[in-house]
Amino acid sequence: MPQSATQWGRTPSLPPTHYVDSRIYTDQTLFEEEQEKIFEKVWSLVCHESEVPNAYDFRRCQHMSGKELLVIRGKDMKIRTFYNQCPHRGNVIAFEPSGNAKRLTCIFHLWSFDTKGNCVEITREKEGFQDRLSKKDVGLREVKTDLSAGGFVWVNVDDDCGPLEEFIDGSLDCFQHEFSTKPLEIISYHKAIVPSNYKLWHDTNRELYHEYLHRHNRMVAVMQPGYFDRLYHIFGNGHMSADPMDTRYDAYEGYGGEQRKLGWPGGGDTIHKFSDLFPTMTFNLRPPALRIDTMVPLGPDKTIIEYRGLGIKGDTPAERAERFCDHNAVWGPFGRNLSEDQIAVVGQMMAIKTGRDNSYILHGREENGAHDDICLRHYYSEWSKRMGRSAADPFNEQAAVAAE
Amino acid sequence: MATTKTATKKPRSKSAAAAKPTLKKKVEFRFETLFEREKAVRELIARTCLTMDAYDFNSYLDLCHEDFQYTITTYSPELRKDIIWLDHDKMGMKTLLDVLPLHASDHFLRLTMSRHLSVYTIDYSANDTRASVVSGLQVFNTAKDGGVTELLSVAKYFDTVALEGGKASLLSREVRLDTRMLGETGSLIPF
Ligand code: FES
Ligand SMILES: [Fe+2]
Repeated sequence: MPQSATQWGRTPSLPPTHYVDSRIYTDQTLFEEEQEKIFEKVWSLVCHESEVPNAYDFRRCQHMSGKELLVIRGKDMKIRTFYNQCPHRGNVIAFEPSGNAKRLTCIFHLWSFDTKGNCVEITREKEGFQDRLSKKDVGLREVKTDLSAGGFVWVNVDDDCGPLEEFIDGSLDCFQHEFSTKPLEIISYHKAIVPSNYKLWHDTNRELYHEYLHRHNRMVAVMQPGYFDRLYHIFGNGHMSADPMDTRYDAYEGYGGEQRKLGWPGGGDTIHKFSDLFPTMTFNLRPPALRIDTMVPLGPDKTIIEYRGLGIKGDTPAERAERFCDHNAVWGPFGRNLSEDQIAVVGQMMAIKTGRDNSYILHGREENGAHDDICLRHYYSEWSKRMGRSAADPFNEQAAVAAE
Repeated sequence: MATTKTATKKPRSKSAAAAKPTLKKKVEFRFETLFEREKAVRELIARTCLTMDAYDFNSYLDLCHEDFQYTITTYSPELRKDIIWLDHDKMGMKTLLDVLPLHASDHFLRLTMSRHLSVYTIDYSANDTRASVVSGLQVFNTAKDGGVTELLSVAKYFDTVALEGGKASLLSREVRLDTRMLGETGSLIPF
Protein backbone atom coordinates (compact mmCIF):
# COMPACT_ATOMS: atom_id res chain seq x y z
CA MET A 1 0.00 0.00 0.00
CA PRO A 2 1.46 3.43 -0.89
CA GLN A 3 2.22 5.76 2.01
CA SER A 4 0.76 9.20 2.65
CA ALA A 5 3.02 12.09 3.69
CA THR A 6 2.22 11.40 7.34
CA GLN A 7 2.93 7.70 7.00
CA TRP A 8 6.16 8.43 5.12
CA GLY A 9 7.40 10.71 7.89
CA ARG A 10 6.49 8.58 10.88
CA THR A 11 9.14 6.56 12.64
CA PRO A 12 9.32 2.91 11.61
CA SER A 13 7.62 0.36 13.83
CA LEU A 14 10.99 -1.09 14.76
CA PRO A 15 13.30 -0.42 17.70
CA PRO A 16 15.42 2.76 17.15
CA THR A 17 18.50 0.54 16.82
CA HIS A 18 16.97 -0.91 13.64
CA TYR A 19 16.79 2.21 11.47
CA VAL A 20 18.63 5.50 10.99
CA ASP A 21 17.50 8.98 10.07
CA SER A 22 18.58 9.63 6.46
CA ARG A 23 19.94 13.05 7.48
CA ILE A 24 22.99 11.35 9.02
CA TYR A 25 24.08 10.93 5.41
CA THR A 26 23.25 14.41 4.15
CA ASP A 27 23.59 16.97 6.92
CA GLN A 28 26.59 19.32 6.76
CA THR A 29 26.62 20.00 10.52
CA LEU A 30 26.71 16.31 11.33
CA PHE A 31 29.52 15.85 8.79
CA GLU A 32 31.66 18.51 10.45
CA GLU A 33 31.00 16.90 13.81
CA GLU A 34 32.07 13.53 12.39
CA GLN A 35 35.38 15.09 11.31
CA GLU A 36 36.04 16.24 14.85
CA LYS A 37 34.65 13.29 16.83
CA ILE A 38 35.47 10.39 14.54
CA PHE A 39 37.97 11.06 11.72
CA GLU A 40 40.43 12.93 13.92
CA LYS A 41 40.18 10.33 16.70
CA VAL A 42 40.33 6.85 15.17
CA TRP A 43 43.14 4.90 13.50
CA SER A 44 42.91 4.88 9.74
CA LEU A 45 44.65 2.78 7.13
CA VAL A 46 46.52 4.95 4.63
CA CYS A 47 48.63 2.57 2.52
CA HIS A 48 50.52 -0.72 2.43
CA GLU A 49 54.20 -0.99 3.35
CA SER A 50 54.99 -2.22 -0.19
CA GLU A 51 54.08 1.25 -1.47
CA VAL A 52 57.30 2.46 0.18
CA PRO A 53 59.51 -0.64 -0.23
CA ASN A 54 62.94 1.06 -0.17
CA ALA A 55 64.75 3.47 2.11
CA TYR A 56 63.77 7.08 1.31
CA ASP A 57 60.61 6.04 -0.56
CA PHE A 58 57.67 8.31 0.14
CA ARG A 59 53.96 8.14 -0.59
CA ARG A 60 51.65 11.13 -0.50
CA CYS A 61 48.35 10.18 1.15
CA GLN A 62 45.24 11.92 2.30
CA HIS A 63 43.98 11.33 5.82
CA MET A 64 40.26 10.73 6.23
CA SER A 65 40.05 14.14 7.92
CA GLY A 66 41.22 15.55 4.59
CA LYS A 67 44.71 16.38 5.88
CA GLU A 68 47.61 15.93 3.43
CA LEU A 69 50.04 13.28 4.70
CA LEU A 70 53.45 12.03 3.71
CA VAL A 71 54.38 8.44 4.52
CA ILE A 72 58.16 7.96 4.35
CA ARG A 73 60.51 5.03 4.90
CA GLY A 74 63.70 6.20 6.55
CA LYS A 75 67.27 5.01 6.13
CA ASP A 76 66.59 2.89 9.25
CA MET A 77 63.72 1.26 7.22
CA LYS A 78 61.17 2.57 9.71
CA ILE A 79 57.97 3.99 8.25
CA ARG A 80 56.99 7.39 9.60
CA THR A 81 54.17 9.75 8.72
CA PHE A 82 54.13 13.54 8.70
CA TYR A 83 51.74 16.25 7.66
CA ASN A 84 52.62 17.01 4.06
CA GLN A 85 52.81 20.65 5.03
CA CYS A 86 55.80 22.92 5.28
CA PRO A 87 56.15 24.53 8.74
CA HIS A 88 57.38 27.73 7.07
CA ARG A 89 54.41 29.08 5.14
CA GLY A 90 52.30 26.01 4.64
CA ASN A 91 53.03 24.73 1.17
CA VAL A 92 52.74 21.01 0.53
CA ILE A 93 56.17 19.44 0.54
CA ALA A 94 55.59 16.54 -1.85
CA PHE A 95 53.40 17.13 -4.88
CA GLU A 96 54.01 13.76 -6.58
CA PRO A 97 51.90 10.78 -5.44
CA SER A 98 55.09 8.83 -4.67
CA GLY A 99 58.85 9.06 -5.05
CA ASN A 100 62.23 8.60 -3.43
CA ALA A 101 64.13 11.42 -1.75
CA LYS A 102 66.87 11.58 0.87
CA ARG A 103 65.86 15.13 1.59
CA LEU A 104 62.44 16.63 1.17
CA THR A 105 62.84 20.16 -0.09
CA CYS A 106 59.88 22.50 -0.21
CA ILE A 107 59.70 24.10 -3.65
CA PHE A 108 58.54 27.44 -2.28
CA HIS A 109 61.54 28.78 -0.33
CA LEU A 110 63.74 25.66 -0.32
CA TRP A 111 63.58 24.66 3.32
CA SER A 112 64.67 21.00 3.59
CA PHE A 113 63.71 18.11 5.86
CA ASP A 114 65.11 14.64 6.44
CA THR A 115 63.10 11.42 6.57
CA LYS A 116 62.82 11.68 10.37
CA GLY A 117 61.03 15.01 10.02
CA ASN A 118 63.95 17.19 11.15
CA CYS A 119 64.40 20.50 9.38
CA VAL A 120 67.94 20.37 7.98
CA GLU A 121 68.06 23.61 6.05
CA ILE A 122 66.54 27.03 6.30
CA THR A 123 67.65 29.24 3.46
CA ARG A 124 69.65 32.24 4.81
CA GLU A 125 68.76 31.12 8.32
CA LYS A 126 71.19 33.37 10.25
CA GLU A 127 70.45 36.43 8.15
CA GLY A 128 66.71 36.01 8.41
CA PHE A 129 66.13 34.65 11.88
CA GLN A 130 69.40 35.42 13.72
CA ASP A 131 68.98 33.44 16.96
CA ARG A 132 65.24 33.91 17.27
CA LEU A 133 64.26 30.66 15.54
CA SER A 134 66.30 27.66 14.54
CA LYS A 135 65.90 24.45 12.56
CA LYS A 136 65.05 22.46 15.65
CA ASP A 137 61.92 24.57 16.16
CA VAL A 138 60.47 23.87 12.74
CA GLY A 139 60.44 20.11 12.19
CA LEU A 140 57.56 18.42 10.39
CA ARG A 141 54.41 17.50 12.33
CA GLU A 142 54.73 13.77 12.97
CA VAL A 143 51.61 11.61 13.00
CA LYS A 144 51.35 8.41 15.02
CA THR A 145 52.04 5.48 12.71
CA ASP A 146 51.84 1.74 13.24
CA LEU A 147 51.66 -1.39 11.12
CA SER A 148 49.11 -4.18 11.44
CA ALA A 149 49.71 -7.82 10.46
CA GLY A 150 50.25 -8.09 6.72
CA GLY A 151 52.10 -4.76 6.51
CA PHE A 152 49.21 -2.28 6.48
CA VAL A 153 50.20 1.25 7.45
CA TRP A 154 47.82 2.96 9.88
CA VAL A 155 47.94 6.47 11.23
CA ASN A 156 46.21 8.45 13.92
CA VAL A 157 46.33 12.25 14.05
CA ASP A 158 45.33 12.18 17.72
CA ASP A 159 48.56 12.09 19.77
CA ASP A 160 46.60 10.81 22.76
CA CYS A 161 45.07 7.82 20.97
CA GLY A 162 45.31 4.26 22.28
CA PRO A 163 47.35 1.54 20.55
CA LEU A 164 46.39 0.32 17.06
CA GLU A 165 45.99 -3.27 18.24
CA GLU A 166 43.44 -2.17 20.79
CA PHE A 167 41.54 -0.30 18.08
CA ILE A 168 41.47 -3.29 15.68
CA ASP A 169 40.34 -5.48 18.57
CA GLY A 170 40.88 -8.82 16.82
CA SER A 171 38.65 -7.97 13.85
CA LEU A 172 41.41 -8.97 11.43
CA ASP A 173 42.26 -12.24 13.20
CA CYS A 174 40.31 -14.15 10.55
CA PHE A 175 43.18 -13.24 8.17
CA GLN A 176 45.83 -14.42 10.62
CA HIS A 177 47.28 -17.07 8.29
CA GLU A 178 46.69 -15.20 5.05
CA PHE A 179 48.55 -12.15 6.37
CA SER A 180 51.49 -14.03 7.88
CA THR A 181 52.37 -16.93 5.57
CA LYS A 182 54.02 -14.79 2.89
CA PRO A 183 54.57 -11.04 2.62
CA LEU A 184 51.93 -9.09 0.71
CA GLU A 185 52.51 -6.65 -2.11
CA ILE A 186 50.34 -4.01 -3.72
CA ILE A 187 49.38 -4.82 -7.30
CA SER A 188 46.70 -2.27 -8.10
CA TYR A 189 45.58 1.17 -7.01
CA HIS A 190 42.81 3.38 -8.27
CA LYS A 191 40.24 5.72 -6.85
CA ALA A 192 36.85 7.21 -7.51
CA ILE A 193 35.15 10.37 -6.33
CA VAL A 194 31.51 9.53 -5.80
CA PRO A 195 28.72 11.99 -5.03
CA SER A 196 27.57 10.07 -2.00
CA ASN A 197 28.14 9.69 1.72
CA TYR A 198 31.03 7.56 2.95
CA LYS A 199 28.78 5.62 5.32
CA LEU A 200 26.56 4.51 2.45
CA TRP A 201 29.61 2.98 0.77
CA HIS A 202 30.67 1.30 3.97
CA ASP A 203 27.11 0.03 4.61
CA THR A 204 27.21 -1.57 1.15
CA ASN A 205 30.48 -3.26 1.96
CA ARG A 206 29.02 -4.65 5.18
CA GLU A 207 25.61 -5.99 4.28
CA LEU A 208 25.58 -9.05 2.07
CA TYR A 209 22.02 -8.75 0.76
CA HIS A 210 23.11 -6.09 -1.72
CA GLU A 211 24.78 -9.02 -3.49
CA TYR A 212 21.46 -9.34 -5.32
CA LEU A 213 22.74 -6.30 -7.25
CA HIS A 214 25.78 -8.20 -8.53
CA ARG A 215 25.25 -10.84 -11.18
CA HIS A 216 28.72 -12.08 -10.29
CA ASN A 217 27.98 -12.52 -6.58
CA ARG A 218 24.54 -14.00 -7.16
CA MET A 219 26.13 -16.75 -9.18
CA VAL A 220 29.35 -17.40 -7.26
CA ALA A 221 27.91 -17.01 -3.76
CA VAL A 222 24.22 -16.28 -3.12
CA MET A 223 23.01 -19.30 -5.05
CA GLN A 224 25.56 -21.64 -3.50
CA PRO A 225 24.90 -23.98 -0.57
CA GLY A 226 25.81 -22.66 2.84
CA TYR A 227 25.66 -19.00 1.80
CA PHE A 228 22.80 -18.01 4.13
CA ASP A 229 24.38 -19.81 7.09
CA ARG A 230 27.29 -17.37 7.30
CA LEU A 231 27.28 -15.56 10.61
CA TYR A 232 28.57 -12.09 11.41
CA HIS A 233 31.04 -11.57 14.21
CA ILE A 234 31.20 -8.24 15.94
CA PHE A 235 34.20 -6.65 17.64
CA GLY A 236 34.86 -3.58 19.72
CA ASN A 237 34.95 -0.10 18.14
CA GLY A 238 32.28 -0.94 15.56
CA HIS A 239 34.22 -3.54 13.58
CA MET A 240 32.91 -6.83 12.16
CA SER A 241 33.81 -9.85 10.09
CA ALA A 242 31.77 -12.67 8.58
CA ASP A 243 32.17 -16.42 8.36
CA PRO A 244 34.28 -17.53 5.39
CA MET A 245 32.66 -19.20 2.42
CA ASP A 246 33.81 -21.28 -0.51
CA THR A 247 33.17 -19.38 -3.71
CA ARG A 248 32.06 -21.10 -6.93
CA TYR A 249 33.65 -18.91 -9.58
CA ASP A 250 32.82 -21.56 -12.17
CA ALA A 251 29.12 -20.78 -11.72
CA TYR A 252 29.50 -17.30 -13.23
CA GLU A 253 29.25 -17.05 -17.02
CA GLY A 254 31.93 -14.36 -17.10
CA TYR A 255 34.66 -16.84 -16.16
CA GLY A 256 33.79 -19.27 -18.93
CA GLY A 257 32.82 -21.96 -16.40
CA GLU A 258 36.24 -22.12 -14.79
CA GLN A 259 36.98 -22.31 -11.09
CA ARG A 260 39.87 -20.16 -9.86
CA LYS A 261 43.00 -22.11 -9.10
CA LEU A 262 45.81 -19.97 -7.79
CA GLY A 263 44.61 -19.50 -4.21
CA TRP A 264 46.25 -17.50 -1.43
CA PRO A 265 49.13 -18.73 0.78
CA GLY A 266 47.82 -19.63 4.22
CA GLY A 267 44.23 -19.62 3.01
CA GLY A 268 41.90 -21.75 0.96
CA ASP A 269 42.01 -21.64 -2.82
CA THR A 270 38.60 -20.06 -3.16
CA ILE A 271 37.63 -19.07 0.38
CA HIS A 272 36.04 -15.63 0.56
CA LYS A 273 36.59 -13.67 3.76
CA PHE A 274 35.96 -10.09 4.72
CA SER A 275 36.22 -7.69 7.64
CA ASP A 276 34.85 -4.16 7.85
CA LEU A 277 36.41 -1.74 10.29
CA PHE A 278 34.73 1.39 11.59
CA PRO A 279 34.47 3.93 10.08
CA THR A 280 35.77 3.50 6.53
CA MET A 281 37.91 0.40 5.99
CA THR A 282 37.23 -2.89 4.25
CA PHE A 283 39.40 -5.99 3.87
CA ASN A 284 37.98 -8.34 1.26
CA LEU A 285 39.80 -11.52 0.24
CA ARG A 286 38.60 -13.45 -2.77
CA PRO A 287 41.57 -15.57 -3.72
CA PRO A 288 43.76 -15.00 -5.55
CA ALA A 289 43.47 -11.29 -4.70
CA LEU A 290 42.82 -9.08 -1.71
CA ARG A 291 40.94 -5.79 -1.96
CA ILE A 292 41.29 -2.96 0.54
CA ASP A 293 38.90 -0.01 0.53
CA THR A 294 39.63 3.21 2.37
CA MET A 295 37.86 6.54 2.10
CA VAL A 296 38.41 10.24 2.38
CA PRO A 297 35.03 11.87 2.99
CA LEU A 298 35.11 15.34 1.40
CA GLY A 299 31.61 16.35 2.46
CA PRO A 300 28.31 14.69 3.31
CA ASP A 301 27.68 14.00 -0.37
CA LYS A 302 31.20 13.65 -1.75
CA THR A 303 33.67 10.87 -1.00
CA ILE A 304 37.00 9.71 -2.35
CA ILE A 305 37.09 5.90 -2.35
CA GLU A 306 40.56 4.40 -2.69
CA TYR A 307 40.81 0.83 -3.94
CA ARG A 308 43.93 -1.24 -3.46
CA GLY A 309 44.55 -4.69 -4.85
CA LEU A 310 47.13 -6.89 -3.14
CA GLY A 311 48.95 -10.01 -4.18
CA ILE A 312 51.92 -11.92 -2.84
CA LYS A 313 55.47 -10.60 -2.85
CA GLY A 314 57.60 -12.97 -4.90
CA ASP A 315 54.80 -14.05 -7.23
CA THR A 316 56.07 -15.48 -10.51
CA PRO A 317 55.09 -13.35 -13.53
CA ALA A 318 52.42 -15.94 -14.40
CA GLU A 319 51.01 -15.90 -10.86
CA ARG A 320 51.00 -12.12 -10.79
CA ALA A 321 49.21 -11.98 -14.13
CA GLU A 322 46.56 -14.39 -12.84
CA ARG A 323 46.05 -12.44 -9.62
CA PHE A 324 45.80 -9.25 -11.59
CA CYS A 325 43.34 -10.66 -14.07
CA ASP A 326 41.06 -12.15 -11.39
CA HIS A 327 41.28 -9.00 -9.26
CA ASN A 328 40.42 -6.73 -12.15
CA ALA A 329 37.52 -8.86 -13.41
CA VAL A 330 35.59 -7.92 -10.27
CA TRP A 331 37.39 -5.08 -8.56
CA GLY A 332 39.39 -3.25 -11.24
CA PRO A 333 38.18 0.02 -12.77
CA PHE A 334 36.56 -1.99 -15.57
CA GLY A 335 35.53 -4.80 -13.23
CA ARG A 336 31.99 -5.92 -12.62
CA ASN A 337 31.34 -5.12 -8.95
CA LEU A 338 32.70 -1.71 -8.02
CA SER A 339 30.82 0.07 -10.74
CA GLU A 340 27.56 -1.60 -9.69
CA ASP A 341 28.13 -0.64 -6.06
CA GLN A 342 28.94 2.93 -7.04
CA ILE A 343 25.66 3.23 -8.98
CA ALA A 344 23.77 2.05 -5.89
CA VAL A 345 25.28 4.57 -3.48
CA VAL A 346 25.01 7.40 -6.01
CA GLY A 347 21.36 6.45 -6.50
CA GLN A 348 20.73 6.46 -2.74
CA MET A 349 22.17 9.95 -2.45
CA MET A 350 20.21 11.21 -5.48
CA ALA A 351 17.01 10.23 -3.70
CA ILE A 352 17.67 11.09 -0.05
CA LYS A 353 19.40 14.43 -0.46
CA THR A 354 16.42 16.01 -2.19
CA GLY A 355 13.34 17.35 -0.44
CA ARG A 356 12.80 18.43 3.12
CA ASP A 357 10.68 15.48 4.17
CA ASN A 358 12.70 13.19 6.32
CA SER A 359 12.96 9.52 5.60
CA TYR A 360 14.40 6.53 7.40
CA ILE A 361 16.86 3.92 6.24
CA LEU A 362 16.04 0.46 7.55
CA HIS A 363 18.58 -1.78 9.22
CA GLY A 364 15.97 -4.15 10.56
CA ARG A 365 16.73 -7.65 9.26
CA GLU A 366 17.06 -10.28 11.98
CA GLU A 367 17.70 -13.68 10.51
CA ASN A 368 20.82 -14.85 12.28
CA GLY A 369 22.67 -15.44 9.02
CA ALA A 370 24.25 -13.78 6.03
CA HIS A 371 21.48 -11.24 5.55
CA ASP A 372 21.17 -10.10 9.15
CA ASP A 373 21.51 -6.35 9.71
CA ILE A 374 23.54 -6.80 12.90
CA CYS A 375 26.54 -5.64 10.85
CA LEU A 376 24.90 -2.24 10.28
CA ARG A 377 23.32 -1.94 13.70
CA HIS A 378 26.72 -2.53 15.27
CA TYR A 379 28.26 0.23 13.12
CA TYR A 380 25.58 2.76 14.04
CA SER A 381 25.76 1.94 17.69
CA GLU A 382 29.46 2.91 17.55
CA TRP A 383 28.63 6.01 15.49
CA SER A 384 25.97 7.06 18.00
CA LYS A 385 28.34 6.54 20.92
CA ARG A 386 31.12 8.61 19.37
CA MET A 387 28.81 11.36 18.15
CA GLY A 388 26.76 11.52 21.34
CA ARG A 389 23.65 11.37 19.15
CA SER A 390 21.26 8.63 18.21
CA ALA A 391 21.57 7.68 14.53
CA ALA A 392 17.80 7.13 14.53
CA ASP A 393 17.09 10.55 16.04
CA PRO A 394 20.23 12.68 15.54
CA PHE A 395 18.50 15.98 16.32
CA ASN A 396 16.57 14.68 19.32
CA GLU A 397 13.25 15.41 17.64
CA GLN A 398 11.52 12.17 18.61
CA ALA A 399 12.49 12.70 22.22
CA ALA A 400 11.15 16.26 22.09
CA VAL A 401 7.82 15.10 20.59
CA ALA A 402 7.52 12.38 23.23
CA ALA A 403 8.07 14.97 25.98
CA GLU A 404 5.26 17.23 24.69
CA MET B 1 83.41 17.42 -58.59
CA ALA B 2 80.43 19.53 -57.73
CA THR B 3 80.35 20.91 -61.26
CA THR B 4 80.57 17.45 -62.71
CA LYS B 5 77.67 16.30 -60.52
CA THR B 6 75.51 19.20 -61.53
CA ALA B 7 76.43 18.55 -65.13
CA THR B 8 75.45 14.90 -64.87
CA LYS B 9 72.18 15.73 -63.07
CA LYS B 10 70.61 17.55 -65.97
CA PRO B 11 70.68 14.67 -68.39
CA ARG B 12 69.39 12.39 -65.62
CA SER B 13 66.53 14.70 -65.01
CA LYS B 14 65.83 14.61 -68.70
CA SER B 15 65.86 10.86 -68.73
CA ALA B 16 63.54 10.88 -65.69
CA ALA B 17 61.22 13.11 -67.64
CA ALA B 18 61.43 10.66 -70.49
CA ALA B 19 60.46 7.83 -68.15
CA LYS B 20 57.63 9.87 -66.67
CA PRO B 21 54.71 7.86 -68.05
CA THR B 22 56.07 4.64 -66.47
CA LEU B 23 56.77 6.34 -63.16
CA LYS B 24 53.38 8.03 -63.17
CA LYS B 25 51.68 4.74 -63.78
CA LYS B 26 53.60 3.18 -60.92
CA VAL B 27 52.82 6.07 -58.54
CA GLU B 28 49.14 6.00 -59.44
CA PHE B 29 49.02 2.27 -58.83
CA ARG B 30 50.69 2.58 -55.43
CA PHE B 31 48.49 5.53 -54.51
CA GLU B 32 45.33 3.67 -55.28
CA THR B 33 46.44 0.69 -53.22
CA LEU B 34 47.58 2.87 -50.37
CA PHE B 35 44.39 4.88 -50.46
CA GLU B 36 42.19 1.82 -50.35
CA ARG B 37 44.33 0.21 -47.72
CA GLU B 38 44.33 3.30 -45.59
CA LYS B 39 40.60 3.72 -46.05
CA ALA B 40 40.11 0.12 -44.89
CA VAL B 41 42.32 0.71 -41.86
CA ARG B 42 40.65 3.99 -40.90
CA GLU B 43 37.17 2.60 -41.38
CA LEU B 44 37.98 -0.47 -39.32
CA ILE B 45 39.19 1.62 -36.38
CA ALA B 46 36.15 3.89 -36.68
CA ARG B 47 33.77 0.94 -36.87
CA THR B 48 35.20 -0.55 -33.68
CA CYS B 49 34.14 2.69 -31.97
CA LEU B 50 30.74 2.90 -33.63
CA THR B 51 29.83 -0.70 -32.83
CA MET B 52 30.88 -0.31 -29.19
CA ASP B 53 29.01 3.01 -28.95
CA ALA B 54 25.91 1.13 -30.12
CA TYR B 55 26.60 -1.69 -27.57
CA ASP B 56 26.60 -3.91 -30.66
CA PHE B 57 29.18 -6.27 -29.22
CA ASN B 58 28.78 -9.02 -31.81
CA SER B 59 29.52 -6.65 -34.68
CA TYR B 60 32.53 -5.39 -32.75
CA LEU B 61 33.84 -8.94 -32.40
CA ASP B 62 33.28 -9.51 -36.14
CA LEU B 63 35.82 -6.74 -36.76
CA CYS B 64 38.42 -8.55 -34.66
CA HIS B 65 40.95 -11.06 -35.98
CA GLU B 66 40.86 -14.64 -34.67
CA ASP B 67 44.12 -13.93 -32.81
CA PHE B 68 42.79 -10.68 -31.32
CA GLN B 69 44.44 -9.41 -28.13
CA TYR B 70 42.94 -6.56 -26.12
CA THR B 71 44.47 -4.71 -23.19
CA ILE B 72 43.70 -1.60 -21.20
CA THR B 73 46.88 -0.23 -19.68
CA THR B 74 48.00 2.82 -17.79
CA TYR B 75 50.85 4.14 -15.74
CA SER B 76 50.28 4.49 -12.01
CA PRO B 77 52.32 7.33 -10.50
CA GLU B 78 51.21 6.07 -7.09
CA LEU B 79 52.86 2.68 -7.62
CA ARG B 80 55.43 3.94 -10.13
CA LYS B 81 54.68 1.13 -12.52
CA ASP B 82 52.56 0.17 -15.50
CA ILE B 83 49.24 -1.45 -14.72
CA ILE B 84 47.10 -3.69 -16.95
CA TRP B 85 43.42 -3.25 -16.15
CA LEU B 86 41.98 -5.59 -18.75
CA ASP B 87 43.69 -8.30 -20.77
CA HIS B 88 41.73 -10.61 -23.05
CA ASP B 89 42.07 -12.68 -26.19
CA LYS B 90 39.12 -12.88 -28.57
CA MET B 91 37.38 -15.62 -26.61
CA GLY B 92 37.90 -13.76 -23.34
CA MET B 93 36.53 -10.61 -24.90
CA LYS B 94 33.49 -12.48 -26.18
CA THR B 95 32.86 -14.00 -22.74
CA LEU B 96 33.09 -10.54 -21.18
CA LEU B 97 30.88 -8.80 -23.73
CA ASP B 98 28.28 -11.60 -23.60
CA VAL B 99 27.91 -11.25 -19.85
CA LEU B 100 27.83 -7.44 -19.64
CA PRO B 101 24.11 -7.06 -20.43
CA LEU B 102 23.38 -9.20 -17.35
CA HIS B 103 25.02 -6.56 -15.16
CA ALA B 104 23.90 -3.19 -13.85
CA SER B 105 25.77 -0.44 -15.64
CA ASP B 106 25.30 3.29 -15.62
CA HIS B 107 25.75 3.04 -19.37
CA PHE B 108 22.52 1.05 -19.53
CA LEU B 109 20.77 3.24 -16.92
CA ARG B 110 21.61 6.95 -16.88
CA LEU B 111 24.27 7.40 -19.55
CA THR B 112 25.25 6.72 -23.11
CA MET B 113 28.89 6.43 -24.10
CA SER B 114 30.48 7.88 -27.22
CA ARG B 115 34.03 7.49 -28.43
CA HIS B 116 35.68 10.30 -30.38
CA LEU B 117 38.66 9.24 -32.38
CA SER B 118 41.51 10.89 -34.28
CA VAL B 119 43.80 8.59 -36.23
CA TYR B 120 47.27 10.08 -35.78
CA THR B 121 49.69 7.75 -37.58
CA ILE B 122 49.56 4.62 -39.73
CA ASP B 123 52.73 2.63 -40.38
CA TYR B 124 52.78 -0.42 -42.60
CA SER B 125 54.96 -3.47 -42.15
CA ALA B 126 57.53 -4.26 -44.85
CA ASN B 127 55.24 -6.75 -46.57
CA ASP B 128 52.18 -4.52 -46.07
CA THR B 129 50.20 -7.20 -44.21
CA ARG B 130 50.14 -5.26 -40.95
CA ALA B 131 49.38 -1.67 -40.08
CA SER B 132 50.36 -0.10 -36.78
CA VAL B 133 47.92 2.64 -35.97
CA VAL B 134 48.10 5.22 -33.21
CA SER B 135 44.93 7.17 -32.48
CA GLY B 136 43.82 9.71 -29.92
CA LEU B 137 40.66 8.73 -28.07
CA GLN B 138 38.22 10.68 -25.97
CA VAL B 139 35.29 8.90 -24.37
CA PHE B 140 32.26 10.95 -23.39
CA ASN B 141 29.25 10.22 -21.21
CA THR B 142 25.96 11.80 -22.18
CA ALA B 143 23.21 11.75 -19.59
CA LYS B 144 19.87 10.46 -20.80
CA ASP B 145 18.17 12.96 -18.50
CA GLY B 146 18.78 16.41 -19.96
CA GLY B 147 21.52 15.35 -22.35
CA VAL B 148 24.53 16.94 -20.68
CA THR B 149 27.84 15.54 -21.95
CA GLU B 150 30.92 15.03 -19.81
CA LEU B 151 34.37 13.76 -20.63
CA LEU B 152 34.88 10.28 -19.15
CA SER B 153 38.39 9.50 -20.33
CA VAL B 154 41.32 10.58 -22.49
CA ALA B 155 43.37 7.74 -23.96
CA LYS B 156 45.25 6.47 -26.98
CA TYR B 157 44.66 3.40 -29.08
CA PHE B 158 47.77 1.51 -30.13
CA ASP B 159 46.32 -0.87 -32.73
CA THR B 160 47.68 -3.51 -35.04
CA VAL B 161 45.51 -4.13 -38.05
CA ALA B 162 45.88 -7.32 -40.07
CA LEU B 163 45.54 -6.81 -43.84
CA GLU B 164 44.80 -10.25 -45.18
CA GLY B 165 42.66 -11.51 -48.05
CA GLY B 166 41.64 -7.99 -49.03
CA LYS B 167 40.20 -7.43 -45.57
CA ALA B 168 41.26 -5.37 -42.58
CA SER B 169 40.71 -6.83 -39.13
CA LEU B 170 41.78 -5.73 -35.66
CA LEU B 171 44.63 -7.96 -34.51
CA SER B 172 45.52 -6.17 -31.30
CA ARG B 173 44.47 -3.12 -29.35
CA GLU B 174 46.13 -1.49 -26.39
CA VAL B 175 43.98 1.21 -24.86
CA ARG B 176 46.48 3.38 -23.04
CA LEU B 177 44.65 5.53 -20.52
CA ASP B 178 45.62 8.99 -19.40
CA THR B 179 42.46 9.31 -17.32
CA ARG B 180 42.41 6.81 -14.49
CA MET B 181 39.44 8.06 -12.54
CA LEU B 182 36.42 7.07 -14.58
CA GLY B 183 33.52 9.30 -13.64
CA GLU B 184 31.10 8.79 -10.77
CA THR B 185 30.37 5.16 -11.46
CA GLY B 186 33.23 3.82 -13.58
CA SER B 187 32.67 1.73 -16.67
CA LEU B 188 31.87 -1.92 -17.17
CA ILE B 189 32.20 -1.42 -20.89
CA PRO B 190 35.69 -1.53 -22.37
CA PHE B 191 36.80 1.40 -24.48
S1 FES C 1 56.59 27.36 2.50
FE1 FES C 1 58.04 25.79 2.41
S2 FES C 1 59.93 26.79 2.37
FE2 FES C 1 58.47 28.37 2.54
FE1 LIG D 1 29.16 -4.93 -3.68
